Amino acid sequence: MAGAERELAIAIVDDEAPARALLREYLSREPGTRVVAESANGYEAVKAIAETRPDLVLLDIQMPKLDGFEVLDLIEPAPRSDSGPGPPGGDADAWRPVVVFCTAYDEYALKAFEVHAVDYLLKPFGRERLTAALARVRARLTEAERGGAPTAPAPATLAAAARPPGQWLERLLVKDGARVHVIPVDAIDYLEAQDDYVAIHSEGRSWLKTQPLSELTQGFDPNRFVRIHRSYVLNIARLARIELYARDSRVAILADGRQLPVSRSGHARLKELM
Amino acid sequence: MHPFFRRRWPLALYLGAWILIGLMFTALVWLAGSVPFERALLVMEPVVLVYGLVCLSAYWVCRKHPAGTTPAPRLANAVIVAALQASAMWVALSAPWSALVTRLGVIRADRDVLLIGFAALFVAGVPLYLISVAVHYLLLTFEASREAERRALESQVAAREAEVRALRAQLNPHFLFNSLNSINALVGAHPEAARRMCESLGDFLRQTLALGARESVSLGEELALVDRYLAIERVRFGERLRVECRLEPAVERCLVPPLLLQPLVENAIKHGIAERIEGGTVRIAAARHDGVLTIEVENDADPDARSRRGAGVGLANVRRRLDALEGRDTRLDVRRIADQFRVTLTLPARVAEGGAGGGR
Repeated sequence: MAGAERELAIAIVDDEAPARALLREYLSREPGTRVVAESANGYEAVKAIAETRPDLVLLDIQMPKLDGFEVLDLIEPAPRSDSGPGPPGGDADAWRPVVVFCTAYDEYALKAFEVHAVDYLLKPFGRERLTAALARVRARLTEAERGGAPTAPAPATLAAAARPPGQWLERLLVKDGARVHVIPVDAIDYLEAQDDYVAIHSEGRSWLKTQPLSELTQGFDPNRFVRIHRSYVLNIARLARIELYARDSRVAILADGRQLPVSRSGHARLKELM
Repeated sequence: MHPFFRRRWPLALYLGAWILIGLMFTALVWLAGSVPFERALLVMEPVVLVYGLVCLSAYWVCRKHPAGTTPAPRLANAVIVAALQASAMWVALSAPWSALVTRLGVIRADRDVLLIGFAALFVAGVPLYLISVAVHYLLLTFEASREAERRALESQVAAREAEVRALRAQLNPHFLFNSLNSINALVGAHPEAARRMCESLGDFLRQTLALGARESVSLGEELALVDRYLAIERVRFGERLRVECRLEPAVERCLVPPLLLQPLVENAIKHGIAERIEGGTVRIAAARHDGVLTIEVENDADPDARSRRGAGVGLANVRRRLDALEGRDTRLDVRRIADQFRVTLTLPARVAEGGAGGGR
């Protein structure tokens, strides 16, 4: 098996030059690896990862602009390109890199990694650790190619698990082509589930994000955002009043006059908060 | 609740005293004439003990009119009114009892004798109540001094805790591990730089421990610690970190509580410079004006940075330490203007005596 090792295309993402240099040095001595991208911040990383489609991303957590979890969130699975070592047969699974987090110290993130079986390297680490991590990555990729279900958790789930208790999500990131839009959570009026998407309504515009509604709102402060209906989550700061529409059915009227349906259990949740 | 009921021995002592007073009353009745001693005891002890309970009300009278702050005439007025009321109550409570014991034939007394007895009770009740008031004032004073002692101890413990917290925050694990990682990276290609960084890190830790153990240090010493710290961070951040320092002459000799400046600089880097792709400048300034020392730490900040995990912990720590150490004449102001973040520390300017430049 050893001779048949596939080459790993690797992206390095870390804002500190010495940390990047260290990874490069270690990797130069690892056979069967190739560094295809090196980024010093989250925006660069998102772009570089989308362009180079590496097998593996070595990802720092604390970085300017976008942290590691947000970068992970913005990596969009894509159909495997013709160039890559495509899977045999018709099992054309989406491309999604394996991520190994590299971090110095982050109590909550480490807990999240343990819980969700995400690989990580603790700085400072020696070369053997990296070698071991690479072996696990190869095993994981081989398994994925054989059709084994990838076990990686959804980025939002991981990010929510890594947040210190009592701290809530402050912003959502939406990728729009090559651009990344930052939507502060406070500026959101409401969220609306539409098929596989969630429409985020904020300041008169709406953005689409491919994610289940419940997953997207995991990190939201439950005292400010309420699921008023199977398909709607409302920022209660925007709520003007609730009106009885028919027997047992209500509508929420927002400050700007828009109306959203309120289910019975949604109304119960709202009442509990008010 | 009355403090006597909180513990056993004060109540026992108090009741013991009243039993003795009861014995005195018994003796008086016995000496007055026709009642045998045992019977006098049987009648008088309950009467006196009941008054003992009535006199516990002095506690609330004393609490309502603190000895130190209430004007004397008002105090005297309140106490005398209370004494008269208590005494009247005593007579009122004794009346059915005397009727009962007379009916049962324990004692024989006609109306006149009973009236004289009640009058005597009323007259004796007032000074007894006054004595109770005095005892309660003593008790309250004792309690107040114990409370003050406890509070002093508590604030001492709080100050200690703040100090420990500051030291722990200083040895920020994220900073330490990242620095070790930088050293790890340098060892391969730049062993000389790795060696220098080991030295800086060692110096920084040693200095932190040394300064943290003292009550006050000179601003110069704090700035030296900041320099060590910056030497380490420059390796991590490279060109992205720029520092400007503007010090008025002689401010370096001013005394400050230890380990206040470096956390502010660390904050500026962690939440300011590190959040900007292109990095930025940390500006440190210190000036002295009319006996007031002003220290400013300002940094470029990302205008739309999210508040990162742990943000504000460093500042809260510094603020807590200031509260514990100094009191009212120190201030910590935080201002954000566009993409500048500024923390201003205001302290009374004190200079080391003897001009040695060091602390104690």
